[in-house]
Amino acid sequence: MQRELLHTPEGVRDIYHEEYEKKLILQDRLNGLLRRYGYHPIQTPTFEFFDIFGREIGTTPSRDLYKFFDKEGNTLVLRPDLTPSIARCVTKYFDEEDLPVRLCYMGNTFINNSRYQGRLKETTQLGAELIGDPSVDADAEIISMVVACLKAAGLKEFQISVGHAGFFRGLTEAAGLTAEQEEELRNLLSNKNFFGVEEFVETLPLEENLRRLFQMPGRLYASAAEWQEMKECAAAYPQILDALEELELLLALLKAYDVSRYVSFEPGMISSYHYYTGIIFSGYTYGSGEPIVKGGRYDRLLSYFGRDAAALGFAFVIDQLMAALARQQIAIPVTYETLLLVYQAAYRTEAIRKARRMREHGRHVELLLWDAARTKEDYAAYAKKHHIAEVEFMAEG
Amino acid sequence: MEQRYLTIALGKGRLASQAMELFEQIGVTCEEMKDKRTRKLIFVNEESKLRFFLSKGPDVPTYVEYGAADIGIVGRDTILEEGRNIYEVLDLGFGKCRMCICGPESARELLAHHELIRVATKYPQIAKDYFYNKKHQTVEIIKLNGSIELAPIVGLSEVICDIVETGSTLRENGLLVLEEVCPLSARMVVNQVSMKMEHERITHMIRGLKEAVWQNSQKG
Repeated sequence: MQRELLHTPEGVRDIYHEEYEKKLILQDRLNGLLRRYGYHPIQTPTFEFFDIFGREIGTTPSRDLYKFFDKEGNTLVLRPDLTPSIARCVTKYFDEEDLPVRLCYMGNTFINNSRYQGRLKETTQLGAELIGDPSVDADAEIISMVVACLKAAGLKEFQISVGHAGFFRGLTEAAGLTAEQEEELRNLLSNKNFFGVEEFVETLPLEENLRRLFQMPGRLYASAAEWQEMKECAAAYPQILDALEELELLLALLKAYDVSRYVSFEPGMISSYHYYTGIIFSGYTYGSGEPIVKGGRYDRLLSYFGRDAAALGFAFVIDQLMAALARQQIAIPVTYETLLLVYQAAYRTEAIRKARRMREHGRHVELLLWDAARTKEDYAAYAKKHHIAEVEFMAEG
Repeated sequence: MEQRYLTIALGKGRLASQAMELFEQIGVTCEEMKDKRTRKLIFVNEESKLRFFLSKGPDVPTYVEYGAADIGIVGRDTILEEGRNIYEVLDLGFGKCRMCICGPESARELLAHHELIRVATKYPQIAKDYFYNKKHQTVEIIKLNGSIELAPIVGLSEVICDIVETGSTLRENGLLVLEEVCPLSARMVVNQVSMKMEHERITHMIRGLKEAVWQNSQKG
């Protein structure tokens, strides 16, 4: 055996047997669910031109992209995620459509991040995008789908945290922050360093209501009284007020979907993705050190491709979801129904006919010519090892 | 529902004992940890469902990023150097020092131009970020693992990028602080998911620690 030929490069791996069965089941469940909400599957290429994932549109720094050249010298990139590809597709194929387009996808993505030892470089992402619908109803549909997906995966304890990009933008504009100050505030907020935010705000000459709004980004809101208080503070700041009202309406709709108990609001949530314009959300559960689902509204993304349209969506990393399920000891039940048909040479025709008949009826049948050197026990052991449900022998005696 | 353990990673050494003093101020104790002879790696406080462990400083952000620890106590130098995806929620106010560019007086001239110079350091990321993104000076970075002050003395590099507390080691060796990169102190860091899933417990702890830090600063 050529031992050195058997390795896979760091960050990629083989997924087989039970683990892959489970992954397929999980993917089926989630895909099925997205279809039930009226989303149409779409497949885009594994690699595209660099510019599709370039600086303004991209979610991944250029040095973390797998890049190569085609024969004309164009730079190509293995996709780090699918959202920009979907945006490109929509602009190209659905340009005439004024009503919403619903698309769902699944595919492998590639991020060349050497810093993260023990982290996969190739992962499977599954997601959905709703294009051309600027309403809060669309926001609610997307979030309720995320919750439904997590439940379908078998998770019981999880949290979706929802914020609004307009809140932060409104704050910085109302306070008239310089680019540097904005950067500092962004840093503090993305580190959840709320005491740092307080200290930072103390140095600014702000009107009282605005000062109070600055204390709110980090809190999680639920009660109606708290919403009311925030809205009163924001009365003079239309952008912030709009964001808050959108979130409040969203909460009401999520109640109608009966998923509001999984959702918490964090108005000042910040995303490192530049193209988000409305709601932003992430999903968290135990057993995964990072969010297992991310998404939001990115009404500006499509304009990079020359079309103005509302859009929002989310993406799961299936491999992370699998890891979280395993660590929470939530089983994905795999049913094994294969029949192993072991036949002696004399029964060849009969065995083949039988297998054909059973397969036509949907049974899983594995055929095996009986090796004279082996016993029935050998085959039973083989069946056990390979999760074969049943063994049948076609032989003399 | 049964409460989960919150796991806290502490950077070994003085940082850890100072952090434990701070935790005691807010009523979080761990008697097991005070036994100097113990060979245990992990210490449990059953009552408040907390677990503590000691690790090498640079590993703390790693444990926290992957969620193996919910919370970490570590110096800002390590956080900057490791660049992990974690929340840096609180300045704990102890372990104060500065990251500085140091060298002999003669090296001051070299920092004023965009000349290519050699910088010895234990913190290549911090040094790189400072020279490339703030000073826009191209430098050659030489990674060392200790006694950084030696480098300019024996001619391995023109300057060093290192932590300065009192500056006495520098002075004894004829070096001085030429530029300050940033102030440093101990920080509390939190895993992204833990911050959400254990929001109440962690926020409560942050508030308590903040209060204790404030009181300590009042004492002087």
